[in-house]
Amino acid sequence: MPGIPLVARETTCSRGADQMCRQESRAQLSAEEEVAAEESLSIYCKPVELYNILQRRSIRNPSFLQRCLRYKIQAKNKKRIQMTVSLPATVNYGLQGQNLFPLRIILARPASSNEITENYDCFHFNRCCTLTSCAGDQAVSGIHAKFILPEMNKLSAEIKSGSLSVLFVSCVEASRDPMVASSSQSNVEGHCLLGKIPMELLLLSWEKSPNLNLGEKAEMLSTVEMRPYSVKPICLEENKCVSFQTAASSGTQSSLQQLQVVVSAEEVGARDRSAYDCYSYSDIPSSSLPHIMRLRTGNVIFNYKYYNNKLQKTEVTEDFTCPFCLVKCASFKGVRHHLTTSHDLFNFEFWVTEDYQAVNVSPKTDIWRTEIIADGVDPKLQTFLFCSRPLRRRRPKSLAQNAHHVHPLALDSNLPASFNELLDKTDGVSSAGPSHADPEFVPSLPGSNLAPPTMLQFAKTRKLSVERSDPKNRLQLQKRQFFHSHRAQPMALEQVLSDRDSEDEVDDDVADFEDRRMLDDFVDVTKDEKRIMHLWNSFVRKQRVLADGHTPWACEAFSRLHAQDLIQAPALLWCWRLFMIKLWNHGLLDARTMNNCNIILEKSWQQNQDNDDPMEAL
Amino acid sequence: MAKIALGCEPVVGSITSAKKKEYRVTNRLQEGKRPLYAVAFNFIDSRYFNVFATVGGNRVTVYQCLEGGVIAVLQSYIDEDKDESFYTVSWACNVDGAPLLVAGGSNGIVRVIDAGNERIHKSFIGHGDSINEIRTQALKPSLVISASKDESVRLWNVQTGICILIFAGAGGHRNEVLSVDFHPSDIYRIASCGMDNTVKIWSMKEFWTYVEKSFTWTDLPSKFPTKYVQFPVFIASVHTNYVDCNRWLGDFILSKSVDNEIVLWEPKMKEHSPGEGSADILQKYPVPECDIWFIKFSCDFQYKATAIGNREGKIFVWDLQTSPPVLISRLSHVQSKSPIRQTAMSVDGSTILSCCEDGTIWRWDVVASSS
Repeated sequence: MPGIPLVARETTCSRGADQMCRQESRAQLSAEEEVAAEESLSIYCKPVELYNILQRRSIRNPSFLQRCLRYKIQAKNKKRIQMTVSLPATVNYGLQGQNLFPLRIILARPASSNEITENYDCFHFNRCCTLTSCAGDQAVSGIHAKFILPEMNKLSAEIKSGSLSVLFVSCVEASRDPMVASSSQSNVEGHCLLGKIPMELLLLSWEKSPNLNLGEKAEMLSTVEMRPYSVKPICLEENKCVSFQTAASSGTQSSLQQLQVVVSAEEVGARDRSAYDCYSYSDIPSSSLPHIMRLRTGNVIFNYKYYNNKLQKTEVTEDFTCPFCLVKCASFKGVRHHLTTSHDLFNFEFWVTEDYQAVNVSPKTDIWRTEIIADGVDPKLQTFLFCSRPLRRRRPKSLAQNAHHVHPLALDSNLPASFNELLDKTDGVSSAGPSHADPEFVPSLPGSNLAPPTMLQFAKTRKLSVERSDPKNRLQLQKRQFFHSHRAQPMALEQVLSDRDSEDEVDDDVADFEDRRMLDDFVDVTKDEKRIMHLWNSFVRKQRVLADGHTPWACEAFSRLHAQDLIQAPALLWCWRLFMIKLWNHGLLDARTMNNCNIILEKSWQQNQDNDDPMEAL
Repeated sequence: MAKIALGCEPVVGSITSAKKKEYRVTNRLQEGKRPLYAVAFNFIDSRYFNVFATVGGNRVTVYQCLEGGVIAVLQSYIDEDKDESFYTVSWACNVDGAPLLVAGGSNGIVRVIDAGNERIHKSFIGHGDSINEIRTQALKPSLVISASKDESVRLWNVQTGICILIFAGAGGHRNEVLSVDFHPSDIYRIASCGMDNTVKIWSMKEFWTYVEKSFTWTDLPSKFPTKYVQFPVFIASVHTNYVDCNRWLGDFILSKSVDNEIVLWEPKMKEHSPGEGSADILQKYPVPECDIWFIKFSCDFQYKATAIGNREGKIFVWDLQTSPPVLISRLSHVQSKSPIRQTAMSVDGSTILSCCEDGTIWRWDVVASSS
């Protein structure tokens, strides 16, 4: 789990009412109770493990909901700069009479050189804001022009690549305002007053402002000189474009007008963050850590109840992260919905106060069914109930026929996608592949490219045998005495819970003994022959050589295993060779394998020679 | 039934008493209403040669034979299960020499009682059905062997509580095992007999490492690698009915069925062919009116004589080591009419105890010969 365990709890539990973070003193428990408590904690192991498996599966193929959620979170966390332009009333009071309004404010980029005709300044723009009055007036709308800019680094790069400017345009003849003109009236020319603030200037001032990235506003008052121009909107391949020409009659116009504008900028997406968020935990003394962790908005406290809800373990996750599958849930509400829908093996109790959001977790004991698969058991080998409704969609019959030989049982996440697709397309046989969150089906994990299962921290130390069976079955195992299936001896609980099954156990010592006795009965067999028979019989039994196809392997392995015995007794070696020839006669052994066996024996003999006569070897 | 070659007919003893010794009833005890199935002197510890134990119902009682026919009750143990019915008892001791009582019965649980401390020492679970006889290895009195209705014989270490070996399986008994006995000198050898009418001789020579291991085993007893001994070294069909008691007499075997006689025979094993061989019947010790099963005989410490009760409450004392067999004495009393399930001879054979179906214990003491 990703959270940070609140270890420093006792020392920092300053508030008496702080129930959520209360942890019962373990000292009150007797040693026995503590063991029992530990034991009861282990009921978390199985469900957590299951969710880990599901989580690993969803790494490759997240569910739709989670993909949406991820996008939403990313969008929310993406930093942007919101630039607000307004005309402060107090400063611009004198301008009011001059009827600059409506004032158009445009964030524009100069057109590339080939679009510029002589004497024209041509700008591309996307949006044009209209100010109808000065800020500070009673009017509600039309006093700010807001532009969303990319975050600082991106913005500066963009500005450096091509100079952006904020344009202030005030049309003299409002009726012939070319800015509002539609493209059909595109060639209508008009006169206007134009002012400019280059973005470089703004950027410079923002960069100087230290607190912008901490969420504070950076404000700048600047003066814009408004000059008369003649304006002409141009439509170039759907890009809005406007060109200004220095008015020939500039002299006749009254003169430049000065406009005071306030440009303020702030980071959006960063405003939700509190100052605490910006520090790493390392700078903070551990004593105040829990308090801060509670204050951080995304932090959720999870209390895991165990030992009949008498004890709890606590951990804290950041960014509204689910402790089981590490999904970021964007909000506490998201956490709530996620937990109740995705982790229904637990009961959840949600608790929100001013200081913290907390979740009490307790395992549901009643619904633990076959979803939990015992440790050490390859789930693929387990029979599982596979329910699927035939898909209603009509599919070409040929596909269905193709897939008749395919059984969903053996699927795992390593299969090529096409194979899964094929299955997906078949009627009646729906895929149990990784895209289905079928809890009954847990594929064996490739392991090589995935992280090892993240278990509850406290679960790691548990003994495996305890985890093997789910609690309900375990309880039944504890209830009564079990006896060894061969010896009929009462078994200790530890043995009952261990994974060993004595049912079809073969006692090798006894089997060897009996085999030897059986061979002793033969009167027409030499001692060496009996010995080789015995060695072979016991080898075959121990290695479970069952099929004809196993024979070549068995011969090589036998040669390797008993090389020393065979070399030391040539008579025995000949018995072995004769036996191999017999196998070859029966078609159980091919000549090459027989040759291999002899090579193995020869090499071994060679080695012996070298070891025996070191002088000769030199 | 073993074939008897011409000129090899067994010697049958005469049932006319030679009156070599005379026994007289010196005490009679009514222990309870329930039948007593076993009585046993303690031959393991010379300090307690006059101490004996009886079992009947769910009770194990320890007595002491005192001078003048007095029997003193020393201890009495009652099993917590009212329905338990003990069938057998044997004395054993732990490695420190403390006396232990080992009893078994219908529940199939071997109870090991620490008689020195008057408490239960261990209980062995393992047998699947009632236990018909328990015997102690005199050479290693921590080893006891039990014969059970579950067709198996189990070797236990009372010291560590381990079930060492199970004599059962492919070559094992095919019905209840009624009796089992350790060879007096060959520590590896045991004989067992039962309702499949056979006597089987087993060897644990190949498994002796496990017996040794059992003394030093410190892990859980249930983890001990208990071995199955599936094949006996000898199977004898001496009897044609249930064989309910067998004892080694040197390398010979004394066994009885419901044919009113004890048979002494020699197992003749063939070299290199285990399981095969023949039984040579040497002698027969007739016991009249001894035609019900579960009547066991007992011998003195040196196996000079054996005493066996019959269905009518009479006891026959045979000289074991004479040929032809000599009936030492025939003990009868007008009030002893109930079947005698087992007798016990004291170390020197001077005292004979019998325990009866009606819950009585009779004590017979030898009368100093007048001659």
